[in-house]
Amino acid sequence: MPLVDAKRHRIHRFAAVQRVIGVLLMIFSVTMLPPVAVSHFYDNAVEHAFLTAMLVTLSSGALLWWPVRNGRSELKIRDGFLVVVLFWVVLGVYGAIPFYIAPRPEVTIAQAVFESISGLTTTGATVLVGIEHLPEGIRYYRQQLQWLGGMGIVVLAVAILPMLGIGGMQLYKAETPGPVKDNKLTPRIVETARALWIIYFGLTVSCAVAYQWAGMSWFDAIGHSFSTVAIGGFSTYDASMGHFNSTLIEGIAVIFMILAAANFSLHFAAWRARSFSVYRLDPEFRAFILTLAGLSVVASALLFGSQHMDFGESLITGLFQVVSYGTTTGYTTADITHWPSFLPAMLLLASFIGGCAHSTAGGMKVVRVMLVFKQGIREVVRLIHPSAEIPVKLGNKVVSREVVQAVWGFTSIYMGFFVLLLIAMLATGLDLVTAFAAVAACINNLGPGLGEVSSNFAGMNDVALWIGTYAMLLGRLELFPLLVLMTPYFWRR
Amino acid sequence: MDHRYAPVQRIIGILLMGFSLSHLIPLAVSLVLADGVAYAYLEALWITLTTGLLLWCTARRTRRDLKVRDGFLITVLLWAVMSIFGAVPLYVTDVGWDSYTDALFESTSGLTTTGATVIASGLDRLPPSLNYYRVQLHWLGGMGIIVLAVAVLPMLGVGGMQLYRAETPGPIKNEKLTPRIAETARLLWAVYVALTLLCALAYRLCGMSSFDALCHAMSTIATGGFSTHDASIGHYQSGLLEWVVMLFMLLATVNFSVHFLVWRTRDPRRYLADAEVRTCLAIVLGFALVVCLPLAWSGLYDHPLTAIRSGLFHVISYGTTTGFATANPTHWPHYLPITLILAGFVVGCAGSTSGGVKVIRVLLFAKQAAREVRLLAHPRSLSPIKVDGRRVPEPVVHAVGGFFSIYIASTLVLTCVMIATGLEPLTAFSAVAASINNMGPGLGEVNAAMNTVSPVGKWVLIVTMLLGRLEIFSVLVLLTPSFWRR
Repeated sequence: MPLVDAKRHRIHRFAAVQRVIGVLLMIFSVTMLPPVAVSHFYDNAVEHAFLTAMLVTLSSGALLWWPVRNGRSELKIRDGFLVVVLFWVVLGVYGAIPFYIAPRPEVTIAQAVFESISGLTTTGATVLVGIEHLPEGIRYYRQQLQWLGGMGIVVLAVAILPMLGIGGMQLYKAETPGPVKDNKLTPRIVETARALWIIYFGLTVSCAVAYQWAGMSWFDAIGHSFSTVAIGGFSTYDASMGHFNSTLIEGIAVIFMILAAANFSLHFAAWRARSFSVYRLDPEFRAFILTLAGLSVVASALLFGSQHMDFGESLITGLFQVVSYGTTTGYTTADITHWPSFLPAMLLLASFIGGCAHSTAGGMKVVRVMLVFKQGIREVVRLIHPSAEIPVKLGNKVVSREVVQAVWGFTSIYMGFFVLLLIAMLATGLDLVTAFAAVAACINNLGPGLGEVSSNFAGMNDVALWIGTYAMLLGRLELFPLLVLMTPYFWRR
Repeated sequence: MDHRYAPVQRIIGILLMGFSLSHLIPLAVSLVLADGVAYAYLEALWITLTTGLLLWCTARRTRRDLKVRDGFLITVLLWAVMSIFGAVPLYVTDVGWDSYTDALFESTSGLTTTGATVIASGLDRLPPSLNYYRVQLHWLGGMGIIVLAVAVLPMLGVGGMQLYRAETPGPIKNEKLTPRIAETARLLWAVYVALTLLCALAYRLCGMSSFDALCHAMSTIATGGFSTHDASIGHYQSGLLEWVVMLFMLLATVNFSVHFLVWRTRDPRRYLADAEVRTCLAIVLGFALVVCLPLAWSGLYDHPLTAIRSGLFHVISYGTTTGFATANPTHWPHYLPITLILAGFVVGCAGSTSGGVKVIRVLLFAKQAAREVRLLAHPRSLSPIKVDGRRVPEPVVHAVGGFFSIYIASTLVLTCVMIATGLEPLTAFSAVAASINNMGPGLGEVNAAMNTVSPVGKWVLIVTMLLGRLEIFSVLVLLTPSFWRR
């Protein structure tokens, strides 16, 4: 009987995970309804695609959920890795169905999955061209994917990653809003999620209203507010934000991109305290703003000095692109590939720093870069005073040794994977600049790259798209959940 | 004149005087071969000698001792000052270096064993004594580097190198800097000279002329990369020679403490007992697989075996940061060029003349990364990191982390600076990688020579070569205010 025992054991162990995924799929299927409505409202072209997708998703979810619905097993913290990875992979695959079965756009499976994962990971890299000519249902659905992905990410970043202790994020363990007493995964996350989603929703509504006020149609305003607050970067136009050609809209986008890339726990704290001083006091937010400001000055100065832009235009263009790349949103108003000097490289590198922790932004996160930087300085100082004990501080709090170590472990694995993926990309036949930009755009969840991929990934071969898809997941899940699943330690009890 | 830095000044003075005497050898070569540039060495000799004498004279009576901390200053000054004076013979002759910037670039490239040259074509027509002088710069630089790497950096604790503190050959009782380093240096130089002679002999047997064999041997063991021919090793068109060169490049990239150990115990198995050497070979093998297979497939070479030899040669040459070439890999297919450049970061061992991040750091870094992942699955299992069965202290692991991030950040920032001087992004990256890793050849227009780089760009690369050679931290320390405080 030991064999049967072991089998029952295993089914039992992952039953809770299976139940969660089943429920999530069923909920996800419901989100196909708004695009059906949009499609119905406009031209009826893709209604059946969404209805089919909804049916498939709903039945798969029900099938997964039904056999384990009565399971009493609780989710354990370690199961979190599995849930997190499955959440994005499974939803990504099911989210690709409408793209694939809709009559327009015509895409391969690789392209459909790429588009869907790009949406859910809020990357914003697209394989579609002629977006303005696509059915409204599809155009709306892409924006909504990003918004839903953003909802997931906020919870992932604020509640789950710190609990799993990924890449030094245990730093935030104690700060997570919501009840902390409990060690079980579910109740705490539900509580946190509710608070964060209210903020997320509030930001989205105010962003949409602002866009509409600045001159967008409601359709565009809602669509762009979705992708702005999710730090996604999908647009309902090929030309992205450049389509509107409006300084006012670009200014609003800059403000909301910065808000969305700020730590959501800060928003929560500010909301509860009814005071803005928390932003000013947060060392990460300060560093984030200073970095963006510094880079904007450099970009604007170089643009003004070398191109045919007047002062005001170079200022707003430089600021907009720096914020868009720095927060990893990925809206564009210009093709930066042909910008002067090192600006293209600088913008791509800025996306590695990314936004603050606990936001929908991608990249390595400002706080990690800060800690790595401080650690570097500490090592230099330690050379002069070998026996001095010099703590690494964030604000005026001492950061524990384990966190610092985990952070540089994270950054170096991030760099390592970047190089590996770059080589894989090059092997598919891309030129170096394109490959570098494509990998950076995917792993940082940025969206647009340089060269061939400066506005879309339509010309990429399928292998490159799969590599890109993997990179997006890797970056979004902060590497470790995917890596942990690949170790034997995880599967051992 | 007994100021705080008097002992530093005295040392630099003595070293300069010693360095000036090294000009006697190319002077002799020049006189024997009658190539007409003997005046250059004479001029350089007296300029360097008098400067050294002046420095030494004014500080010779100091009674202060060198402190460990002064090591940073000496290390940086030594390379900077020698580069400046080493450029004199190149500058005063009128054969290839038009400006002092060019001469300084060549001299720094020599002393840091980088091997990037500003002479695009015409190495073959250069007066032979100048060619000898260039490789002698390599060789002297290499002598300095093994002492730096085996004795000085571990003592200063740069980037986790305190790991080797206990292993340094020579007496350890003494905490003072000078006597211990002198003893270590003597032992290591014996190995260094022996390897060079062996290498020269092997090259001679493979068909090089005696002069070329000596020059290339000096360049190989220093993992420099200067050659007496524009076509580098490709000039000889000899398969056998290429294999021999590969062997000696690999030997030169092994930690010299390990060489010393093997020499003393007469037991070559000691090489494989060293975790760093094993990892280095594994990395080379990995790169070789990744590079040779597509190259054999690509049809660039008539015979797959030729392709494999060429691929392996460049992996080893770029990886050990020597920088010899038999072909221009810029136009190799796919990812091969960039892979070769990346090899320069990770193949060299600590305690050798090669550059880059060093294998031991890569090893510690990989172990630390694996530990982090393991820690996630089992939050309470705190296992120490071990190398060769010995536990690595946590401060070392930390220092390696700091070193990594600073190294990568420096590469990226310097790449942006080079792009700003007008290079293509890829060319700029390869030029910075070639310099910071002390490798030599880059890609594209900076593959064979760096003559097309703008003067500003050359100055940036000069600083980059020094940064890489001195393992960045030694230079950064001098930039902190707390270093200059008493």
